[in-house]
Amino acid sequence: MTAANLLNTDLLNAGRALVAPCTKEAAEPEANRLDVVIDAGDLLDAVAALHNAKWGYLSAITGLDQGAEAGIIEVLYHFCDGAAVLTLRVPVPRDAATVPSLYGLIQSVTFYERELMEMFGVTVTNTPNTDRLFLPDDWPDGVYPLRKDFDMTQLHEA
Amino acid sequence: MEPNIIQLQSLEVKRDGDKFIIPIGPQHPALKEPGHFAFTVDGEIVTSATVRLGYVHRGIEKGAESRTYVQNMYLVERICGICSHIHATVFCQGAEKLAEVEVPPRARAIRTLIAEMERIHSHLLWLGVAAHEAGFDMLFMYTWRDRETVMNLLEGITGNRVNYSANVLGGVKCDITPEIDASIRTGMDFLEERTQHYLEVVTTDAMFLRRTQGIGLMSQEQTESLGIVGPTARASGVARDVRVDSPYAAYPEFPVTMVIDPAGDLLARCVVRVKELFECYRVIRAILDQMPDGELTTRMPRRIKPGETISRAEAPRGELLYFIKSNGTDTPERVKVRTPTLPAMASVAASAVGHQLADIPMIISGIDPCFSCNDRMFTINDPRGNDKTMSWEALRQYGIEYYR
Repeated sequence: MTAANLLNTDLLNAGRALVAPCTKEAAEPEANRLDVVIDAGDLLDAVAALHNAKWGYLSAITGLDQGAEAGIIEVLYHFCDGAAVLTLRVPVPRDAATVPSLYGLIQSVTFYERELMEMFGVTVTNTPNTDRLFLPDDWPDGVYPLRKDFDMTQLHEA
Repeated sequence: MEPNIIQLQSLEVKRDGDKFIIPIGPQHPALKEPGHFAFTVDGEIVTSATVRLGYVHRGIEKGAESRTYVQNMYLVERICGICSHIHATVFCQGAEKLAEVEVPPRARAIRTLIAEMERIHSHLLWLGVAAHEAGFDMLFMYTWRDRETVMNLLEGITGNRVNYSANVLGGVKCDITPEIDASIRTGMDFLEERTQHYLEVVTTDAMFLRRTQGIGLMSQEQTESLGIVGPTARASGVARDVRVDSPYAAYPEFPVTMVIDPAGDLLARCVVRVKELFECYRVIRAILDQMPDGELTTRMPRRIKPGETISRAEAPRGELLYFIKSNGTDTPERVKVRTPTLPAMASVAASAVGHQLADIPMIISGIDPCFSCNDRMFTINDPRGNDKTMSWEALRQYGIEYYR
């Protein structure tokens, strides 16, 4: 693809260096992308490093349920700068999924965090607003629609 | 002018007991789409704002996990009734990247052409809505009349006014014939002349200026840290445009120039969008002048090998981001969609503070929010003259019968 020819290697390397102290694993899945696995405990440090260096902006938070067998939910924080996309990948246990809020650094994050909480049942600590953003008011507690084992019978039972 | 947030925060502390919370929406004055805002006011001045969305949440991300890539093309195109083409394009590009399929140059050019025409349609629609909120209904009616030009052209190319369905995995399904080429050029000439007039109106009309100049101010720093994208960001001096930063489709061959205005108020958001229209006309003509020859599609495997990809594009409202995970089957494992309106909502909460309650409809429509569209009536324009109107139920039945 022609678009991929435009490489932002310098930007990615700068990003890689910023989060290096927190990095457990790093991979480059495709052109202009860096995927960094970090612990939930290191998340705030990594984001602060990117934020203070003004490396890009938080573009999205993706929840990724690996299923009941793996017992892991991954929370992906996508930062974009030009063509470069740096993803902080935070694996958390499915039955005690908790990540810290980024609100202290990036105030607009509350929308993404509210979506993550209601759709995946990930607890976000210290986030200022835990109200539902998208799901209806009468949606039952403890039913998370984007988890892999969600099915409509859960709704009917509730 | 500095935004008076700091000054108001002290005011808020001083008169803590006198605050009122005004709920606006889900049915609200700014748009014909549902969203709920709670504005805390001190007298007429807004001191804080919260947002609640999801009144038309349709579970599309979940739905995508149980549909094949081909079926998902039709699903994602219906996420938005205005920028439907860009959703399909981003989804296609992601799936094509995962499958390591190269799209032919002509198909990339046609995708870009339709994307720019969609931007014209969206920006003119927005200008009308903004004019309506400002009480300038004549401008609203003129822009929407002129928008019909581009809607008709899109219908001429694809057969549809909104959900064009121009993309297929591996290419496009409609071609630009010499007749269509000529009609697009005529349409662009007409629209360019009209846009010149609109630029003059929005920058000189005293009444419109009173509603836009210095209203909804957002500084460059605020915009950058809130992660706001698209014309709203560019109107605060932030150079952020996926077409330039990370060119996709045919943008490497047909580069666009970013339109940036440092003012950061509603007027700047108007000016940036109107000036972007000129860029659209220029790029469309350039594509028509140098349309590559060749195939429209390439072969695409039904099963897509395992992997994860991020696909981005510049929708009319800003950066649209898809995260797609494939598991080796013909159905994606996960499709995450982040539309540009979500970060823009943060700007409403930020820029409303310090303004009169009466400015809120303009500030909300100033970001060009797009909650979703849900239409239940379909009109089929048949070139042979058999036009007919079908209800949702009749259309559904027709679909079932057609695919039986």
